[in-house]
Amino acid sequence: MPVETKRAAARRRIEEKRAAEAAARARARKRQRTVVGGVVATVLLVVAVLVGIAVQTSRTTTSATVAVPASTVDGGNVVVVGQSTAPVTVDLYEDFQCPNCRNFEATDAATLASMVSAGTVQLHYHGMAFLDTSANDRYSTRALNAAAAVENAAGPDAFQRFHDLLYAHQPAEGGSGLTDQQLVAYAAQAGADGNAVAQAITKLTYGDWVQRVTDQASKDGVTATPTVLVGGQRLEDLSVAGLTAAVQSAQHG
Amino acid sequence: MEWERPTGVRTIVPWLATAARLLLGGVFVVAGALKLPDPAAAVRAVRAYRLLPESLVAPVAFGLPMLEIAVGLALLAGVFVRTAALASAVLLVVFLVGVGSAWARGLQIDCGCFGGGGTVAATDTAYPTEVLRDAAMLVVALALARRPRSRLALGGSFHEEELSRAR
Repeated sequence: MPVETKRAAARRRIEEKRAAEAAARARARKRQRTVVGGVVATVLLVVAVLVGIAVQTSRTTTSATVAVPASTVDGGNVVVVGQSTAPVTVDLYEDFQCPNCRNFEATDAATLASMVSAGTVQLHYHGMAFLDTSANDRYSTRALNAAAAVENAAGPDAFQRFHDLLYAHQPAEGGSGLTDQQLVAYAAQAGADGNAVAQAITKLTYGDWVQRVTDQASKDGVTATPTVLVGGQRLEDLSVAGLTAAVQSAQHG
Repeated sequence: MEWERPTGVRTIVPWLATAARLLLGGVFVVAGALKLPDPAAAVRAVRAYRLLPESLVAPVAFGLPMLEIAVGLALLAGVFVRTAALASAVLLVVFLVGVGSAWARGLQIDCGCFGGGGTVAATDTAYPTEVLRDAAMLVVALALARRPRSRLALGGSFHEEELSRAR
């Protein structure tokens, strides 16, 4: 009996030892799998990030020979209306689809126009196109491209008339936007007609330019529209009274 | 009856971890994916924070969504859960610092968290909501990093661990 017990005990010890070894091997295998998996995952992650950066960089790169509308300033990004001798510069950053811009134009455009004709103010129009949706068929981009085509064909004053027409007929946000045909019609109404203008509108000739000026506005630190700068200072109060006060202080201060 | 509670807790914690994984992972995948269709807007959104030099803006705008998607997929699948939870916690801290500093500096921006170009209609910011959301997700991420074992996970699954311990 004691012999049997001893033998059984020995057998049990051996089995326990074997089980412990097997468990240790399993743990080692598992650890190895985890390490290998971790390395593979890290490599995949790095590759995915690098590919992502490369693809998106190529998607945002505009060609070096961007079509720029004629008689624009500041590297071809800005349309200027008014005399160069005007003492006060007013910068407008607007998107044609932005409802707050339409509200600003509705209340302040007449005041600005009279300041321009009085020779007090020179307007600098900075376009932005960030309200493109699939529903409006990229209306922000199409509208600004059309404005560039009008400017290129008929100059800054026609640009301003077209700009005012588009705000007066701004399509509802979330709606389908104006069609290219409507844009061509408003362009003609603003004084830019003919095949070349219609072609530039429908073929998005200034599409890269639109992308460039939108990026430039972001580089200028503009994150909300409308952004109005009077003498380089951001105008907080967009009412007629606020605008008039700011222009007066910029003129005399 | 006293000893029944721990058993109940032990069953429910892994399911809570699963819920945390799906929530965090889902939000990260969606947030990352929404930043991909319009890369120019992503660049503007990052630039709008005015925290990074121009040379770093585009790489961050393009790389970050990939990172978010990777972390999100790991959480959804249940692989490298602790690492992914810690990574998402780090990302959320970065987001909180960015949004908090934009708020403190009085910038008028949209966080760009789910795509978009960081542009808002003037005075239309939503900083309190953005901070609360990120903070709540940070709590979930840290809890998950502390107890990463969960049900319905591909890697290092709860089941496997339990079985090997039972053996």
